Amino acid sequence: MSDWKGKTRGGSFGYQFFIYLIRFGGLRAAYAFLSLVVVYFIPFAFKATCSSWFYWRKIHKRSWCNSVKMLFVHYYRFGQIIIDKIAALSGYEKRFEYDFVNYEKFLEVLDGDTGVVMIGAHFGNWEIGGQFFGKYAKKINVVMFDAEYQKIKDKLEGVMGEKPYNVIPVNEDELSHVFLIKEALDRKEYVCFQGDRFVNEKHLLSEVFMGREANFPAGPFQIASRFKVPTVFYFSEKESAYKYSFRFFMADPVKRTKETKPEQLLLRQYVKVLESRLAEHPEQWFNFFKFWK
Amino acid sequence: MNKEEIISKINSVLAEEFEKDESEMVPEADLLETLELDSLDIVDMVVFIEQTFGVVVKGADFKGIKTFQDFYDFLDRRVNNL
Repeated sequence: MSDWKGKTRGGSFGYQFFIYLIRFGGLRAAYAFLSLVVVYFIPFAFKATCSSWFYWRKIHKRSWCNSVKMLFVHYYRFGQIIIDKIAALSGYEKRFEYDFVNYEKFLEVLDGDTGVVMIGAHFGNWEIGGQFFGKYAKKINVVMFDAEYQKIKDKLEGVMGEKPYNVIPVNEDELSHVFLIKEALDRKEYVCFQGDRFVNEKHLLSEVFMGREANFPAGPFQIASRFKVPTVFYFSEKESAYKYSFRFFMADPVKRTKETKPEQLLLRQYVKVLESRLAEHPEQWFNFFKFWK
Repeated sequence: MNKEEIISKINSVLAEEFEKDESEMVPEADLLETLELDSLDIVDMVVFIEQTFGVVVKGADFKGIKTFQDFYDFLDRRVNNL
């Protein structure tokens, strides 16, 4: 069962505060202040701390001492990612260096004759990539749970202006988002999902992930396989203090077999890629709730 | 394809796809409630309509569809260009 309720923690005051700190003190000052925030979050975000602890102890099988250290590193990296996102969306994007892996292949897919499904994760900093899509950004549609979208919209758009992409809000009580997704794909646009969170427990796919069984939302994988559009797994990872890498992985086309549905085959590919990225940057996994069964 | 053929085709495929008895699919029955469709089932439904009848379905089309009769009428209009 997922503990994630479709909402993201944090208020607009915090975002506004960090914007001022970045503006007047620079990124280093924001990172320094973050150390204090991390100390606050460890006891006061108890559920998140428990899930982070589980992640280091049970998934990565780290020692007790190392897990304590990684708890700090985990929160600190999460904070850095948010600060970087705020900085990049507030006009400081040139402060960072960016590296692109498989970018030519990715652009070939975007320039193709069909819509494209892009599946990312709450890993790294996917939002920092928005402004690098240039002419493609207008055709990007990010699918987001309505509650999360409204909160992010209220928090961020007030202080940082409009996002460089479109949002398709998902409300489980309505069906309109299905048609918005379908119509975007029919217009040969790009529809982006996060493949690692769900609120609807009716449509789940299960797969062994990092050595343990975990649930994933069926939606992104089912939509990609049913509408038979190219699928790209997309991750943006923080490589060092001011450097990000954008990585694109083209999924192999999937076909239903006697034993396995195509969405399950697509999920398997996604899990494999995500595991390989997590092996390099385990501290950039930002699902602070009970993820594994 | 005449309307009777369309209705027969729809009912048999929907019964198989959504594991329902064809006898439940009476014209005045509510489409979504009878088939217990949610958003991801709609994806299957849209793909089924496109593949079977070659008809592109948009959100606005679906808004006017409440009952099986509405659904039959919609497909009849689109398939036969009425």
